[in-house]
Amino acid sequence: MSTSSADVAVRIEGLHKSYDGREVIKGVSLEVPTQRIVSIIGQSGGGKTTLLRCVNLLERPDRAEMQIAGEAVFAGERMVCRDLARLRQKVGMVFQRFNLFPHLTAVENVLLAQVTAARVPESEALERAVQLLRRVGLGHRATAYPEQMSGGEQQRVAIARALALRPTVLLFDEPTSSLDPESTGEVLRVMRELAEDGMTMLLVTHELPFAQEVSDWVVFIDRGLIVEQGPPVDVLQHPREERTKAYVSTYASHFEGGLAEAQRVMGI
Amino acid sequence: MPMAALFNIHWGDYTSDLLDGLVKTIEFTIVGFAGAALLGLVLALMRLSAVRAVRAPAAVYTELFKNIPLLAIIFLTYFGLPSQGVRLSVFQAGALSLILFYAAYLSEIFRSAIAGVHGGQREAAEALGMSRGATFAQVIFPQALRSALPGTNTMLVDLLKSTSLLVTISAAELMSQGQLIASETFRALEVYVVIAALYFALCYPFSQGLLWFERQIRAGVPLAPRRRRRLRQARVLLGKEIVA
Repeated sequence: MSTSSADVAVRIEGLHKSYDGREVIKGVSLEVPTQRIVSIIGQSGGGKTTLLRCVNLLERPDRAEMQIAGEAVFAGERMVCRDLARLRQKVGMVFQRFNLFPHLTAVENVLLAQVTAARVPESEALERAVQLLRRVGLGHRATAYPEQMSGGEQQRVAIARALALRPTVLLFDEPTSSLDPESTGEVLRVMRELAEDGMTMLLVTHELPFAQEVSDWVVFIDRGLIVEQGPPVDVLQHPREERTKAYVSTYASHFEGGLAEAQRVMGI
Repeated sequence: MPMAALFNIHWGDYTSDLLDGLVKTIEFTIVGFAGAALLGLVLALMRLSAVRAVRAPAAVYTELFKNIPLLAIIFLTYFGLPSQGVRLSVFQAGALSLILFYAAYLSEIFRSAIAGVHGGQREAAEALGMSRGATFAQVIFPQALRSALPGTNTMLVDLLKSTSLLVTISAAELMSQGQLIASETFRALEVYVVIAALYFALCYPFSQGLLWFERQIRAGVPLAPRRRRRLRQARVLLGKEIVA
């Protein structure tokens, strides 16, 4: 996966991160080429989510070389990104627990950052919000509050919200982990459509069948290190490392039931 | 005792006194509450600061003023401060006392409301590139306000009733007017029944109104004109699509 820097949405080299003296990421390097989808898999507590959160600097790495869309944002032990807000507008994020703003309706959730952070004119922002809600199949729920929506609907609104600022890359942190199989199907369908539209994505997931289907590259992380990476078929069907084999076999059996349900819902 | 015997005073003569008292009571309430809410918010934010030197004075303030009776604060500001050359008018001393006292309570309510907003909310706003100010104003504060409303409303009604303590410095509010009328007419029972009724007539609709306001907000009725406009426009754009 070596590409020229112009085609790389996210480049991370030698990222280290520790909490209270315990190192949770021990030197990870990773590239997400433009219009590609990279999935990070691995046991809970292995550092996947922390790595993802370092990309938009919700977590500050101890040490790393990091470039987003060709622009250096972290070098050595220093943040070199001058405009953190602008960086974050280029890197959209979808959370495991949706984190929608509960006091605002769906359309306002999608609109808020456009007008407050990106200074998009009100009417333009509103039109875009409506259009994005339609794109995730929720035009009819635009004026509903998060608590009135199902988990799957909330996560689709969250995806629309992350898309509103026209990000270069979208980060997904276990986007279906708190959803039932039917909602999981809805969310995966939206993500599949984004993939088909050429959205660059970096996702942390336990949905191995989905990862295999949409990803261009799969990275298996364990205990803060990349154990194995490669095209999805290689890593997920023919893993070389013992730890990958163990993880893949656990999750494959665990998800067979869930996969059948997801496929039924998605009609595949 | 028959009603005719209880109500003997010619109240028509005192209407303007009572009205003045009511107006003064409302003035104390508005100024006292606005000041207390503002100071309370500042104290709450200070107590949530990561810096100990910012947190500590706010904590000391809160504990201090929560554990002193309001009456003592009123006497200190009105009778005590002049000995140090600070001479406040009755209104200034009264309003200041209410502000100092209620800010301590409101800061506790605000602090727990702000701390109670889920951490994921700040993260979501940050991840969208919103500034710290915008995150607080648009995401944290509106949610904190919703959970702070019941406690804040209780304090507001409590403050209104506590303005009656200002009778001790003859602040010309409702209770002081009552005291004047009672000393003129020597009919304490009748006068204070009327005064109590007036406080009730002021507080009851007020607290019911605040409850109504709370329910509106909880039901998701958009109150800000900007939100109403946005939602109206969204409905226009979506037309028949909207079902909810």
